[in-house]
Amino acid sequence: MLRRLRIPFLTSGLLLLFIIPALAQQAGPADYRTFFGMDSRLAIWIIAEVHLMFGAFVLGVPIFAVIIEIVGAKTKDPRYDRLAYEFTKLLTGAYGFTAILGGLLAFTLFGLYPKVMDYLTGVFGDTMYTYALLFFVESTTLYLYYYLWDTMQARKGLHIFLGILLNVWGTILMMVANSWVSFMMAPVGVDPKTGDFVGTVWQAISNPLWMPINFHRLLGNIAFGGFICGAYAAVKFLEATTPEERAHYDWMGYVGNFVAVCGLIPIPFAGYYLGREVYSTSAVMGNNMMGGAFSWTFIIQAILIGGLFIGANFYLWIGMHRIPGSERYTPYLKYLNMVLLVCFAIWLTPHNLPLSAEEQMMVGGQYHPTLKYLGLMSGKNAVVNFMILSTFLSFLLYRRANKGDGIPFSQQGVGAKLVLWGVAAVCLSILGWYARSLFQLAPASMDLSPDKARYFILPAVLLLIQMGGILVTVVLTLINRGKMAQLLYLGLAVLNAVFILGIYGYKVMAVANPFLRNVAFAQWMILMTTLLFVATIDLFLFRRAPIIGEMKWGQIPAYSQYVLIFLCIWIVQLIGLMGFVRSGLRENWHIYAVLKDTSPGSWTPDNFLMAKMVSICVILFLGIVSFLFWLSQDRGAKTVIALPEQKESPSPIDSLSHH
Amino acid sequence: MKNSFAKATVFTLIVCVVYVYVAFVITEISGGAKTAATAKGVNPEAGEALFWGKGKCWTCHSIGGRGSAIRGPNQEGLGARAAQRAKERTAKTGKPYTAEDYLMESHFNPSAYVVEGYKDEMPTVWKPPIGLTPDELLAIDTYLQTQGGEVNVSALMDSRFFAALKKEAGNQEAIVSAWKPYLPGDPGKGKELFFDTEGKVVCIKCHTVGKTGGKVGPELTHVAATRDAQFITESILEPSKVIASGFEPYLVATKRMQFITGIKKNETPDYVELLGKDGTLHKIPKAEIGRMAAQKTSFMPGNFRDVLTVEEFHDILSFVLTLK
Repeated sequence: MLRRLRIPFLTSGLLLLFIIPALAQQAGPADYRTFFGMDSRLAIWIIAEVHLMFGAFVLGVPIFAVIIEIVGAKTKDPRYDRLAYEFTKLLTGAYGFTAILGGLLAFTLFGLYPKVMDYLTGVFGDTMYTYALLFFVESTTLYLYYYLWDTMQARKGLHIFLGILLNVWGTILMMVANSWVSFMMAPVGVDPKTGDFVGTVWQAISNPLWMPINFHRLLGNIAFGGFICGAYAAVKFLEATTPEERAHYDWMGYVGNFVAVCGLIPIPFAGYYLGREVYSTSAVMGNNMMGGAFSWTFIIQAILIGGLFIGANFYLWIGMHRIPGSERYTPYLKYLNMVLLVCFAIWLTPHNLPLSAEEQMMVGGQYHPTLKYLGLMSGKNAVVNFMILSTFLSFLLYRRANKGDGIPFSQQGVGAKLVLWGVAAVCLSILGWYARSLFQLAPASMDLSPDKARYFILPAVLLLIQMGGILVTVVLTLINRGKMAQLLYLGLAVLNAVFILGIYGYKVMAVANPFLRNVAFAQWMILMTTLLFVATIDLFLFRRAPIIGEMKWGQIPAYSQYVLIFLCIWIVQLIGLMGFVRSGLRENWHIYAVLKDTSPGSWTPDNFLMAKMVSICVILFLGIVSFLFWLSQDRGAKTVIALPEQKESPSPIDSLSHH
Repeated sequence: MKNSFAKATVFTLIVCVVYVYVAFVITEISGGAKTAATAKGVNPEAGEALFWGKGKCWTCHSIGGRGSAIRGPNQEGLGARAAQRAKERTAKTGKPYTAEDYLMESHFNPSAYVVEGYKDEMPTVWKPPIGLTPDELLAIDTYLQTQGGEVNVSALMDSRFFAALKKEAGNQEAIVSAWKPYLPGDPGKGKELFFDTEGKVVCIKCHTVGKTGGKVGPELTHVAATRDAQFITESILEPSKVIASGFEPYLVATKRMQFITGIKKNETPDYVELLGKDGTLHKIPKAEIGRMAAQKTSFMPGNFRDVLTVEEFHDILSFVLTLK
């Protein structure tokens, strides 16, 4: 059925996309028009958001599919190949919907906001045609990738190349669209006196927010693709009637969650980068984001991201019960749980709570005497780092749950030692580079007086201590004390990045506020090098480790699958919320500080309206995706591949490490 | 489990409803209004409304214990500090500075003097995106003068930086289009909706036009003579954003922990009179009051964008714009 529908879907969508730029020439003199008596902005909001969700789907799922296909090719495990195929099959219909919604969005934008679109077409006209052409090229690549799947089994490398090419086109396509929306936030090449665009197209594209948004969306799409896979697997698991089916979809759900969390972990840093650039572009916009009209929206964002971290961990912990040997580690899970919940609570503590007189009387003032500190940026940076480190530790425990001790490191040959030293050298270089730059940092570069330089010393020294920790860890690993080394290094990272720099951040905020971003960057450096370094040690520690018991795929409680569904809903809500923030930050400007929004809809919606609108979009999107899943089913044929005896370690990374 | 898909669908809907509820609760507790006072013209009241509202000053500056921003200096006592800063500016530039010059220059060219310990990142607030007018900046400066100093509007207007500001800011208007409603609306239909006591919006229940109407909201008989279309639109769609002076709701907590809300109609040394939402007048002896505080959410419902169609909204707006 899907095969019959996909061609008309895609063709009509492409036609719409090609004729849109020409519509700009026909726009009438009106600045704004209505949409069937409805507030035109609400109409645009729904169409744009659902289109963007499909955009994330057709970008996230190919990334997910090609990663899984590569894992399948390396491990020779047919389950991965089928899983990748199963999801690619969905893409053909999804592309059609994306194109149609894109066309509809363009129609409504040109129809309802002709003045804005006229301006944007004047700036980006040629890129709009390029966008349509790229969509055509990407669709063609998708068809080749999908229809030649079985034919090219013998030439897997070439087929994977097609998959990568598909992702390259998709990423470029995303970057083109990102250039338009980021220009609306951070316009360049505009004459400040007349508001006319006098720059080049490339100047407009490479505006300061373009790359930060590209990174943020790319990582978001990886997480999104993984969670979508998880939710699909969850529904299929719940529908499964045989142990084989349950085992297959349990495994699929796990893989989806794993890929999603891998994408999720760096997102806070991409967000920090984006936020920093927003501040640099416009202090007004930046302040409005974190301390103004959107500060409470970011509390909701904390609820969403915190929910993703806690949900993904919870799912892992439930899954531990199907791993023989996991009982050695389960007593520790309650502590991880406590850490996550406390961090979550701190993250969503607001600093500025508008209290009524009654509440002020209860609290004893406008701010709570203690809790007010938890609402500040320094506290939030610290707990985000702690949540990521805890999630990482969850994965380490899950990974080693059914394994005994591997080959002692000292017996692992020169290659392992070279890799260990190589990764250590990379981490040392990164930390050393930043420590050096902090020692040399001139206070004047941040408009601080020379005496403030003393506040730069502590973070630099902590980076040096962390470097010392790397050397100690390498030595301990070399003398077969790898587990102890991991524990020590993780502990050191928590101490430095979470506790010392977290508390020190408050001091910096009070006496040298501009330096806080450097403190946050030092925390990030410590965290990222910790993830890389400890994961590397872990790969060797459990290399060819004896398996205590077989993984019991399928033997997981049904409620665990609702966690996967929850994660999928939550990330789609998050995408919608971030879209609202990105667009809303412009406030009453179509193009920030250049073209004012003079329509009656130029007010900033409150969070309640945002949640209602985004939820409508989420339900619409998930409904259409479910329809696509239903269309793509091979009725009467079971596609489940019986699981081979699962003695090996459970994650895609583990699978690769064995080959 | 044949109903698994149905269960997953119900689960999805429940999660979305819970999410919307959480957002509702957060919206309720966060209020959204940053000021409970508004005034037009050049005076400290208007400046206060601008400082905590449109001017966005509060996103960087606190004043004493009000606000929580730390990006810029706390402005408590600035009215008194300005004279000392003026001396510093005179010494540094060799040109004469008054306290008013210092205040005006801080807005005209924020980079001219940066308080030690802070970054040179204050935006030029008379330029987009904030785009305050010269009169609005004057109002803000009078408000800042009340922080430990004395209000002196004429000295502010005499400042050479104010003259420069007027000249430069005038060019901005050419870039930014004036606001206008995008439907003309039918004043006749709007009038019917406005006066309909059984209708969707029952404006007349709270507002007086001519000799008809309630007293809970401001009188609107001549509202269009003093307020523009954009202000009226915002007042209808976001009534809590700017609450008309004299119509701020107050919450009184009595010593027996009873809570009464209403608009303060009268206050004597002995008692306070609050007009409740339902029109009831509460007379509360001051001896019984434990605490009294202005509230940030207007009595006026904030759901008109949900109850009215776009056409109906413009009908009402066009009628209100005839009230001159």
